[in-house]
Amino acid sequence: MKYALFLGCFIPVRLPHLEAVARKVLPDLGVELMDVDGFSCCPEPVGFLTDRITGLAVAARNISLAEEAGLDIITLCNGCTYTLRQANQTLKADAALRERVNGILAETDHQFRGTIEVRHYAQVLSQIVGIDKIESIVKKPLTGIHIACHPGCHIVSPPEVMGFDDPLDPMVLDGMISALGAEPVDWDRKTTCCGWTLTNYGDKESANRLLGAKLEAMHAASADCSVVICPQCFYQFDTGQMLAARELKIEYKIPTLYYLQLLALAMGQDLDASGIMQHRVKDTTLEEKLRRLTA
Amino acid sequence: MAIRALYLEVGDGRHKAAEICLKCGVCCNVAHSCHVMFDHRFNPRYTFVYDCLASDKGVSNTNIWLCVSCHKCEETCPYEVSPIHFIEALKGNALSLGLVHPTIRAEVTQIVTTGFAFPVTGATERQRQALNLKPLASKAVANLGKIAERTGFSERLKERQP
Repeated sequence: MKYALFLGCFIPVRLPHLEAVARKVLPDLGVELMDVDGFSCCPEPVGFLTDRITGLAVAARNISLAEEAGLDIITLCNGCTYTLRQANQTLKADAALRERVNGILAETDHQFRGTIEVRHYAQVLSQIVGIDKIESIVKKPLTGIHIACHPGCHIVSPPEVMGFDDPLDPMVLDGMISALGAEPVDWDRKTTCCGWTLTNYGDKESANRLLGAKLEAMHAASADCSVVICPQCFYQFDTGQMLAARELKIEYKIPTLYYLQLLALAMGQDLDASGIMQHRVKDTTLEEKLRRLTA
Repeated sequence: MAIRALYLEVGDGRHKAAEICLKCGVCCNVAHSCHVMFDHRFNPRYTFVYDCLASDKGVSNTNIWLCVSCHKCEETCPYEVSPIHFIEALKGNALSLGLVHPTIRAEVTQIVTTGFAFPVTGATERQRQALNLKPLASKAVANLGKIAERTGFSERLKERQP
């Protein structure tokens, strides 16, 4: 199955090791990633609320590029998925709005036609590739690794648009973790926002308190690490944790991993190839466990 | 900006729902979902509903920028008022009134002028090269400029005094 790879901004600019791991592991599951020239920021879902029609036109232009290539879009980020799925669904359903947006796009030589779908890679893996296929490709089961799953906000809400999981009791990512042989833990505050927006538009002390509460809940559930599928959540739990731990004097560490990194390890790649050694928050106990499992 | 002025933007059905809002606080007391409980500016008396939806000056309330559009309030509101739709409508009015959050203004300007939400630095390119990834070059900038001109966004982005 071929997809237009929509990288967004955060991963290629700030976390390119996550792009590298995606390009390595997804093709091994039959997900062929095609590069499409000309994509821009999705655009970022919160900022473009200040001008909805411009945001819709920018999103429609991105979707139209994939339409011209005859490919569905696969994304690596919750925010990109939220923006593009909202725009895709809205413009497919509203002919008058579609006409207005296509009028705006006229000078760009692109038009939104409504012929493709947009999916996060977690949707592609859980709904199209299938959990059985993930299980079948595991060479090094991550047995004994306890993981706190944090799917993030924008991949689950609103459910009628996102079509991924129950926003108040999300379990799909837990199933994807079990498929790797690891053990998802039941933890408090699983559905609380990561705090990215508080850090950027609110005050950092509040964001730290939020992060501290989430880390404490993970620690209480004896999680060895957390897993995310969104780069903003990743950044909060990695760099954000490093900063919050100083302020809040947190003595334990809960490393965070992007799901595709855990998949890479379970598929037999080593820690260096998975990019884990580039993270800010490292824990030698977890590293030793993973080295032993992937040896 | 009275809540009445938002009716057109949030739709008739939604504003009828807003009229039955009991200010019960469930939307801002979703202990394990919305992040508002962690910010000192929020408590049961100063919620999005009190500050933003029941105020004539909601659009000037900086708290609206703390909403990440997670839709959890929508999921939990027992009367389907859905504060998120009003908060998003307030954000939609902020730019033309010169009240947009400075970080948001900088970010959307960056996107329209470069195609990326974050600056692509030499360090970014070195990291990408080390990982055998292609250099980043947005071929979208000319198109984004045309879109922003056509919608009037470029003009609205210029600084306005509130």
